[in-house]
Amino acid sequence: MLGYYFRLATLSFRRNPGLTGLMVLAIALGIAVCIVTLTIYKATSGNPIWWKNDRLYAVTLDSWDPNVPADEEHPQLPPPQMTYKDATYVFASDIPQRKVLMYKAAGVVTGGMAVRKPTPTLARVTTADFFAMFEVPFAFGGGWSAVADQGPEPVIVLSKEENEKLFGGANSVGKTIRWDDREFRIVGVLDEWQPQPKYYDLNNGNFDTPEDVYVPWGWGTALEKHSAGNTNCWKPEPLSTFQDMLNSDCVWISLWVELPTAAARERMQSFIDSYWSAQRKAGRFARPQNNRLTTVSQYLVDQEVVSRDNRMLVALAFAFLSVCLFNTGGLLLAKFLNNAPHVGVRRALGASRRHVYMQHLVEVGALASAGALLGLALGALGLWGVRVLSASVFEPQQQGGYQSLAHVDVTSIVSALALTVITAFVAGSYPAWRVGRVPPASYLKSQ
Amino acid sequence: MNLHLRPIFSALRRNNTGAVLVAVQIAIALAVLVNAVYVVKQRVDKIGRPTGIDTPNLFAVASAGFTDRFNYEASVREDLAYLRGLDGVVDATASNSVPLSGGGSSVQLQVKPPPARATGNGVNYFEIDEHGLNTLGLKLVAGRDFRQDEILPVVTKANITDFVPQILVTRKVADRLFPNENALGRTVYTVLGQPATIIGIVDLMQGSWSNSPTLGEVFLKPRRPYTFGGPLYYLARAKPGQLATMMRQAEEHLSTSNPDRVIHWTRSLERFKQRSYLADRNMGIYLVTVIGLLLAITSIGIFGLTTFNVSTRTKQIGTRRAVGATRFNILCYFMVENWLITTTGVVTGCLLALGVGYWLSTHFELPRLDLYFLIGGVLVLWTLGQFAAMQPARRAARVSPAIATRTV
Repeated sequence: MLGYYFRLATLSFRRNPGLTGLMVLAIALGIAVCIVTLTIYKATSGNPIWWKNDRLYAVTLDSWDPNVPADEEHPQLPPPQMTYKDATYVFASDIPQRKVLMYKAAGVVTGGMAVRKPTPTLARVTTADFFAMFEVPFAFGGGWSAVADQGPEPVIVLSKEENEKLFGGANSVGKTIRWDDREFRIVGVLDEWQPQPKYYDLNNGNFDTPEDVYVPWGWGTALEKHSAGNTNCWKPEPLSTFQDMLNSDCVWISLWVELPTAAARERMQSFIDSYWSAQRKAGRFARPQNNRLTTVSQYLVDQEVVSRDNRMLVALAFAFLSVCLFNTGGLLLAKFLNNAPHVGVRRALGASRRHVYMQHLVEVGALASAGALLGLALGALGLWGVRVLSASVFEPQQQGGYQSLAHVDVTSIVSALALTVITAFVAGSYPAWRVGRVPPASYLKSQ
Repeated sequence: MNLHLRPIFSALRRNNTGAVLVAVQIAIALAVLVNAVYVVKQRVDKIGRPTGIDTPNLFAVASAGFTDRFNYEASVREDLAYLRGLDGVVDATASNSVPLSGGGSSVQLQVKPPPARATGNGVNYFEIDEHGLNTLGLKLVAGRDFRQDEILPVVTKANITDFVPQILVTRKVADRLFPNENALGRTVYTVLGQPATIIGIVDLMQGSWSNSPTLGEVFLKPRRPYTFGGPLYYLARAKPGQLATMMRQAEEHLSTSNPDRVIHWTRSLERFKQRSYLADRNMGIYLVTVIGLLLAITSIGIFGLTTFNVSTRTKQIGTRRAVGATRFNILCYFMVENWLITTTGVVTGCLLALGVGYWLSTHFELPRLDLYFLIGGVLVLWTLGQFAAMQPARRAARVSPAIATRTV
């Protein structure tokens, strides 16, 4: 029966190509707008390390000014980074399974295959656990050990893009380059890695690409590298030398810990709390106790990663889809009721209301499929448009934006198809049902 | 002219599903249209805010020394001399950051020395020299520019928290620190108690961060820029029409003129500005596209439904024509019917639009919807509705009266 209904549907389409075309277009546009908006929304609000969400925590203490909160717009939040003193103290605890201290620094790299100008790079100065904690994939080699942080050993890890620039993408493990006019041995090269958003460092660009090189933690102090990320200070205190900076209450270091069990989490929390109490007795930490272990998903919410714009767009996309729904429904109603004489004849020849309903649902389904296909194509076009619009004309470092987000992935396609099917059936069921209720006799009389 | 509203009403009441669907579409379309246009206008206004500097003609060069041999003072002197010597360059200066670039520094300023506390956020600052005002194209409304002898050398690790004895501030800073007073000649203090005299007030300068709540609060320090290990930025103002040439020349020369430093990039301020407002521009484009599509879909809907209405009522039309209605009467009938449906949709839509506008203003901190937009939206949808129905109505008018007498 379905094949027959399908043939009837195609005949019906051919009888009224203009109207059919309009309906398919309406469905397609609604779906395309939803695909583009939902893809962007999902990509910008997703948690790139969701499988570890119950183990990874950002550590923050409220070391800020007693009179003013760190963030006037979110007074309940502690500052997003830590002071050097606090971060290194908490880092020394052996409760976490893995722990990372890190910040961003600028440097100049010389080396590689050809004799080239020295290139500016951003480096992540970090402890050894960074790669394992954030599950960073390696193409060649690996990271370094905890011992290398203390040396510090002159080892360096390159990002995939930096390796392409310097060595054309070849296995460069073992070779040396100069970073900040010092020799470093390459121990690892990363594979493709572009977590969106850049959840482990939301202080500057939420969607920036990861850094070009990674060096062991000890180099930060050895070379007296100031942070090239955010540094925020509130206290009037000497800040003349790098050592002053290390002693100060300025926040510029990120601390992440991996706590696999709830028990470990509690122990970590009490460790931090007792440190806090001890420091408070010594005269620091004048603000209320606000020692937090924040999961990645909560951290993304706190730092407002999803811009309000995007949420407004999602509401808009659904409003648009509903207009398309009503539009299609109205046109379908018109089309089906126009077909009433034919339905009258069929009913008289023995078709039940259910048969009529099924026949018209098949027609709706055929329209929905055509609309879905066209919608996917238009959606892809829309996403390409978004990529073009957001293409930053600057260095790859800042090319994050929405560049790498705007590609259709399987989940989006599946949700788009599901959405089309549901939309179309919702739009089409009333007209299909309504046409079945037409009394056949009135249409037979005037023939 | 008798509009014959009664028959239209009774016809609509009997067969109203299609009409309801069109009215609902129009209501949603109005709500979306009005609010979307409002948001677009706000974004356009935001992007169009004056920057205070000569953005179309300015460019920045990022220069970083990286060897131990690098001589900061000599390099800055040579490079500025070169840039200022170019024919197509009006003036050049060295700065710690680039306006509108999203990167910069700020410190708090207070009007009473410590132990009084500073209030408010830090004020964005730029370390420039006596050519800074002319390079950026800033307008002095009071006081004077820096003198060459007032430009201090760059801070070193030994005196990194030193301040400067004179500063220039924007009018916004002056108004905040000294409301209803003349700020010229007044002293401000850093949190460490270092005093500085305001020797001049600049009309307007946006600063580093375009989304900052304190946009426009900027002060200028007369000293060579400290770079925190990163690059320093030469800002140069090209003569009109010579921006691209000057950028190329500057980059070519400066990249090779000093082997102890590397030029990271040469970029125009216009590109920085575009990048700052990228999200707003894209939002605007997206909204305009969706508005366009929405209006297209709505007109398609009205067109389709009116066509259907006409086709089901050919007999009725024919009968009316046979008993004396003119083509014009028939045309009017359908236009009026369409107008009634549109108006119902528009009225509902107004309520919906106000509701959505209120929701947007509370959740997204936008100002409340301006009624002009609502009126504009209503007019647009009325016009759109009538245009969409015009063609089917005209086809209805052409139905021959002979239809009335036919049974097939």
